[in-house]
Amino acid sequence: MNEYRWADLTLGLRARFEADITDASMAAFAEMSGDVNPLHTDDAFAVARGFPGRVAFGMLASSFYSTLVGIHLPGKYALLHGIDIEMKSPAFVGDRLTVSGEIVHLTDAYQRLEIKASIVNANGKTISKAKIRAGVHEP
Amino acid sequence: MDRNSIIQDLKPIFRDVLDLEDLNLVAESNATNVDGWDSLAHVNLVVAIEKHYRIKFALGELQGLKKVGEMADLIAKKLAKA
Repeated sequence: MNEYRWADLTLGLRARFEADITDASMAAFAEMSGDVNPLHTDDAFAVARGFPGRVAFGMLASSFYSTLVGIHLPGKYALLHGIDIEMKSPAFVGDRLTVSGEIVHLTDAYQRLEIKASIVNANGKTISKAKIRAGVHEP
Repeated sequence: MDRNSIIQDLKPIFRDVLDLEDLNLVAESNATNVDGWDSLAHVNLVVAIEKHYRIKFALGELQGLKKVGEMADLIAKKLAKA
């Protein structure tokens, strides 16, 4: 886990990591959220609607934005203030996603940073884009 | 820019950040007489204002502000120095 403090952060600072959509994460998300829509839980239903298989929950794939902030940028001292997410393409079970973000604005007065972020699949297709707002609450 | 033209400039920013389409922003507007102007909204307002005018505030400059008119005066002062 990164432990960036406010003084360490600069415009253009980036982070990147990979994350997988797995059967286990799909089952856990369905259980946790209560969203048991068959598009996410029934392969046959998803295939009948023209998808190659179950569609990953959009909020499951987007949950990696939380990881981006809480683990990578800025990491330990982060407090998430908000995320605007634009979903571009579905992700599927078995996908390996690359999550990346770059600091695009720093507000010194309130130690608030803004990150432009995206998630792409292994084929380079954009799954979602996000504008993330987070604070740094260091000891 | 003078105080009144800055307040007119700030109106769409406040309306957007606070999601109040009909907000009538005036010099006396403040966190107690504008719906939804809580601490997180305040941070969002400051960020939006910094971006709009391409200026930076220090925490000390913001802590003394009590109403929109004073914020407009601070912005005018910063723009004059820019």
